[in-house]
Amino acid sequence: MRKQACAVLFALLSFAPAFSAGPLPSVVLNADQIGPRAPIEELTGRNIARDYARAWQALEQALEQDREEPLEGNIVGFANDSFARRIAEQRKSGLHVRIVDHGHKLVAGFYAPNGDAMQLHDSAQLEIQTFDGSKMIQQETIPAHYLVLMTPAADRWVVRLLEEVPGTSAEGQ
Amino acid sequence: MKLIAFGIIAFTVVMVAVGWFMSGGLKREEVHSAATPEEAVQLVLSEVKARNWDQAYSYLANTADLDEADFVHDLAGTDGSLRTYSSLDSYDVWPLRKQGDEARMRARLRWSTAVGPIDDVRDLKVERHGNLWKVAWPVVKTARVPPQVIPVNYLRWDIINRGAGDDWGEQNVDSPNVRIVSMNAIDRGNEVVIVGEIVNEDTVPAYVNVNAVLQDENKNPIAEEGSFDNIAHTLLPRQVSPYRIDFPGMRLSQVKSVRMDAKALLVPASADPVIAVTNQKLGKDPALGKEVLQGQLVNESGQIVNISQVLAAYYDSSGKVIWVSNGYVDQALLPNTPVNFGVDLPEDIAAKVQSYRVTVNHYNVGQS
Amino acid sequence: MMQNPSQRIVIPSDPACRKQFPLPWVGSEGSGVRRRTTVATIILCTVMMAAISAGAQQLRVPASAIAGAGFAITTFGSGNGTFYLLGPAGAVKKKIQLGSEVQVDESQARSAGRYTAIVCGDSCSSMNFFVSAAAPAKLSFIVHPSRVPVGKADAISAVAFAFDKYRNLVLTPITVDFRVTLKDAPEVARSEETKDGIAWMRLASTKRGGLADVVASLGSNSDKRIVQQVPSDACNLRIHATRKVDKIEVETDPVKDCSGNAVPDGTIVSFTEMDEDGKSTVDAPLKRGIAKVTMPIRGAGTVSVASGVAIGNEIRIGGGS
Repeated sequence: MRKQACAVLFALLSFAPAFSAGPLPSVVLNADQIGPRAPIEELTGRNIARDYARAWQALEQALEQDREEPLEGNIVGFANDSFARRIAEQRKSGLHVRIVDHGHKLVAGFYAPNGDAMQLHDSAQLEIQTFDGSKMIQQETIPAHYLVLMTPAADRWVVRLLEEVPGTSAEGQ
Repeated sequence: MKLIAFGIIAFTVVMVAVGWFMSGGLKREEVHSAATPEEAVQLVLSEVKARNWDQAYSYLANTADLDEADFVHDLAGTDGSLRTYSSLDSYDVWPLRKQGDEARMRARLRWSTAVGPIDDVRDLKVERHGNLWKVAWPVVKTARVPPQVIPVNYLRWDIINRGAGDDWGEQNVDSPNVRIVSMNAIDRGNEVVIVGEIVNEDTVPAYVNVNAVLQDENKNPIAEEGSFDNIAHTLLPRQVSPYRIDFPGMRLSQVKSVRMDAKALLVPASADPVIAVTNQKLGKDPALGKEVLQGQLVNESGQIVNISQVLAAYYDSSGKVIWVSNGYVDQALLPNTPVNFGVDLPEDIAAKVQSYRVTVNHYNVGQS
Repeated sequence: MMQNPSQRIVIPSDPACRKQFPLPWVGSEGSGVRRRTTVATIILCTVMMAAISAGAQQLRVPASAIAGAGFAITTFGSGNGTFYLLGPAGAVKKKIQLGSEVQVDESQARSAGRYTAIVCGDSCSSMNFFVSAAAPAKLSFIVHPSRVPVGKADAISAVAFAFDKYRNLVLTPITVDFRVTLKDAPEVARSEETKDGIAWMRLASTKRGGLADVVASLGSNSDKRIVQQVPSDACNLRIHATRKVDKIEVETDPVKDCSGNAVPDGTIVSFTEMDEDGKSTVDAPLKRGIAKVTMPIRGAGTVSVASGVAIGNEIRIGGGS
């Protein structure tokens, strides 16, 4: 089935502004190498790309505004705990971080046989600006690589793990 | 200030008078003695409606044979039955026959209950004593269960759910598998009725609900309804329940397809009580003038069943479900004590019935 | 750009600079104006290189770090400065003396991922480094489904995620042991190596019904899930009856599926009796594998039985005692 399946690309280009958070970042999902449960259902693929974009939008909003609320419902479990701690400490120190998101390329790897967990590799282009109050103390544009674990919730897929790893090309895996 | 106080008092008196009048007080005052058999029955029933049991009992002819407690239990209910949550809303009385000093009257009592109106038809003997007619109320002994031990060791299912502190991998037990085994859409002229059966195919108890969506030729929804209480919600493993979903005001010609949705939740449950349905008969009830499926319910466990509900599925010659009736029994089911039940069905449906199956649902006070 | 007067000015080693702006005393010709321009440019490049070198030299971060282990970050320069450390789960800001070593406590570096160290004096410079997961210590274990029919291939899936004690996914391959035990049946054990922190396997359900324990182990840590293996529908459902004057006692044979597994207790069996008085039905649950009811009977009659959609035999009862 996997040999017969073509590379499935689900592109989610920037949407119109979602609520008050601005446009969604661009997310392109490649599910060509997914397994053991394969192929990915079309609706699932679209939802994964959409919900991952929403999670990043929420994270970027939370880091810039120093508020934990945007994370709710998008990033859960220990990932939520970690980012919430980071935001709380930023707020205490008067720091905030602005991320200019230039897009993500997701490669789906492990898809649990029962469909209740998916691991993905994300290659992202991010411009990160760190501020102490109103003074920018750091700015850099980096290629970032993330290991992502998403699980289905009631009406969406949520990010349960978002761990940045040293750069290896996710597409080569 | 005095004027206001006087106004309040006058208003209160007027309201009390209106209330007394509305509750039939004037009628009671007028009918304090019965010159005809009809008046005799109305006299008793008006006191029953007002829940004046002593007064109602005093108007009977056979107080020597009938205990007041049995009379009250017969009308007011006991043991947490549905009747204990009911009130007499209205009644109709008409004569059956009259000969000399005896008459036979038929009374149709309409009870207002927590689950809707319930009709109760009684044939009453009325006797003349001097110039007055009095009702000889049927002697109904309140059922008593002798003291005994009834061992009950039926299975019970308890559920352990994941807690807030559990790891995310520790997921809850899967929901039960249920399946709709049949569905039949019937046009009743001014409504569409969906009937069928659902089975719990799993090995754990399920709380089920069936919804249906009527769709037009473009698969757009026209109407959506649920089975409400026309289903036995708690199904034990391999148990089958009929269901009925009513769509008032709809015509089958408007409908191109029906989307069914059965939802099942895992719930704790007990296999007790077991209720037998005996002496089932389908036929026309002369008192009601309707096709009625009658029988008796026998509670084979040791606990009182406060409120029981009868669901009957009717099949045609091909085994297709063609109707589902639903009725509540307003008497409690005491252990091993038969209680009569009756559920009606439309005459045109009754003509096509080849077989039927009765399912009993029960609700106990203090249990969810 | 600020030039640190304490640093030595060096000839720019940047080849681009040298190529574009060759040293005037190395033999190139030019007018006086061109010479002055060239010298100025060289000085500018030198200052730029010094500044860049100064910035790069303001911080030294660990080449690699492990979650939950403290480390030190070296700063260069002199004077007062502010140190920042931003990680996946923390943000630190503190005043420091430039040129000193900043100790990062283990509690500030428990999450794996990218950390950015920033030092600001007159200007700011930053460096990134990665913290990787510590030794594997915990498992998150998902098993599906919680109930399976007996004798079904690939019926059960078990997925284990390996984490360290700080809930970082351990990416180095490690071995997870899976074990399935069922009462009165041989244990099934298998080991799988994790890939990107995940190990998984599929199992067939056994032919015997019952509760199976599925365990995943990582060293001394293990996690258990329970899977109920359930028999299929009742097969060869049979009843026998004994008449007692106006009642009959009807009892099923032990109810089993077609593989011989006992159908679980609590499963509903429906009894139907037809006699001169009409029809009687009782839905009774199995108890210790058998369902038993007592029903009234008048005259001759028939009794039949069903469970779910499985139908059993029908027996005739003669009239009278």
